[in-house]
Amino acid sequence: MSLKQERWVGWFSLLPAFLLLAIFVGYPMFNTFFHSFTEWDGVNSAFIGLDNFKNIVSNGDLPLMLRNNLIFLLSVPGILLISLTVSVLLHEEVRGWRFFRSVYYLPAILSSVVIGFLAKSMFTNRGVVNTLLENIGLGRFTVDWLNTVPTEFMILILCFYWQTLGQGTLIFLSGLSSISNELFDAAKIDGTTWRQRLFYIVIPSLYPAIFYFTIVNVIYVFVGLFGLVYSITGGGPGYETTPIDYMIYIQAFRSGNMGYASALSVFLFFIVMLITWIQLKISKRLEQ
Amino acid sequence: MKTASTKMIRLLIFIVLALIAIMSMYPLFYMAFSSMKPTIEYIKHPIALPETWYFDNFKALFYRFSLVRLFGNTVLYVGLSMVACLVVSVPAAYAFAKLKFRFRNGFYVAMIATMTIPGVTFIIPNYLLMSRIGWTDHIVSVVVIWAVSAIPSTVFLLTSLMRGMPDEVLEAIKMDGAKYHQAMIKVVLPMSLPGVVTVSIFNATNWWNDLLTPLIYLQSDHLKTVTVAVATVLNRFSSDYPLLLSGLLLASLPPIAIYIIFQGFIRKGLVIGAVK
Repeated sequence: MSLKQERWVGWFSLLPAFLLLAIFVGYPMFNTFFHSFTEWDGVNSAFIGLDNFKNIVSNGDLPLMLRNNLIFLLSVPGILLISLTVSVLLHEEVRGWRFFRSVYYLPAILSSVVIGFLAKSMFTNRGVVNTLLENIGLGRFTVDWLNTVPTEFMILILCFYWQTLGQGTLIFLSGLSSISNELFDAAKIDGTTWRQRLFYIVIPSLYPAIFYFTIVNVIYVFVGLFGLVYSITGGGPGYETTPIDYMIYIQAFRSGNMGYASALSVFLFFIVMLITWIQLKISKRLEQ
Repeated sequence: MKTASTKMIRLLIFIVLALIAIMSMYPLFYMAFSSMKPTIEYIKHPIALPETWYFDNFKALFYRFSLVRLFGNTVLYVGLSMVACLVVSVPAAYAFAKLKFRFRNGFYVAMIATMTIPGVTFIIPNYLLMSRIGWTDHIVSVVVIWAVSAIPSTVFLLTSLMRGMPDEVLEAIKMDGAKYHQAMIKVVLPMSLPGVVTVSIFNATNWWNDLLTPLIYLQSDHLKTVTVAVATVLNRFSSDYPLLLSGLLLASLPPIAIYIIFQGFIRKGLVIGAVK
């Protein structure tokens, strides 16, 4: 193949992919941006300037949605710590560690819908959790889990953790196995304690993996919670457990406020872009 | 003495890991056992093992909800999406990994950048676009959306794997004057098969588990996917938890089977994402 031929083969190989992305990602994105300045029911749209955005800020939903996303955001360090601890323990390679590793990842392969309904059935008033509490003599701790806002959040976060633990341990384990044994042995000969090795060798060499895991899950709590929220709380009571992405669904496909939903999408788009930008900044610094 | 205390510590670690494993697995066992209880038994004894093996929930699902059709639908959509996605992604990944042409890096960055755009931002216009073409409530809409939305990540993973293919072999086919599509089918595809399998497993489980896309595009009950049917149809009988749980169990079996068979591929795929 001559160079010129290769060039054309290259461009033609990309053509179908970019054509499809232009139609189903590029065009809709501009369309969403455009309609965020309109009042729109899906058929007729009227230009209303920044009213949608003013509405988002002033109608009282925004602080609530941001609070809900913030609660999920604050739960990310928790699962980070748990996954790190579990993978450090797994890395000791005690009997059966391969089996445990497989088991931990199993929930991650299931649908959020399955996980959500499963958790919901366990936390009903007469469900396993309350029955278990009564059986072990802690009957006074039984709660109507699905009908108070704090416990609803607790269940959502529990499901999020259950889904994510396996992913975390796999990522961190592969990071751990890339630490050179010589470095480790040398440190042992120098008489360092287990704890010193943990904080001066293990954790620093895991920084890229920790960083990757955090970013992926921070983005997930902004755009990936739809299935869990849909199946466990439906966003209620009111909008008390509605994060931004679920609100977009409600506004667009239940209430028909497509313009308002578009404005929310644009809002969410910029949040995710901001996170990605931070990621690029930090990963450049890590490479240096 | 040292070995004795190390042994103790290792035993302790084992116990902690085993406890976490039990906590991880318990909901799945609970789901399996509850689906084999009559509703009354489930309400009275939610924790206990089923007294007798009772399969009426599955029978009910089978007769009342045309289960075969739901599974057939989902397998069909997932299969078509997989083919469509690969047909578009494999040549693109090969071009990014092995061909030299102008603006290659620019195109690559553009492709990867689309991965970070949240799907909800383009779901409304896509829905309206589909309804204008007349594809809503038709399998094409779901297949197209699934396939297209998976292109960037598929290309990304395949490109990083194809970079490792030995150039000598590819040069040799070029010398032989083999045509592009022959080289594609006879050399590139077989050589990148592990990557293709890995990425297809990820895509297939994601699609199988997806709720939002089929929920929005498909309204008729006879077109629904398993996941959507569980979330919408079965939820109408939400007080009948054993029935719901047996539906959840059936919806989970294919992904679990895929996981058990292809574990190694899944681990590798996850790590590729993390290393980049």
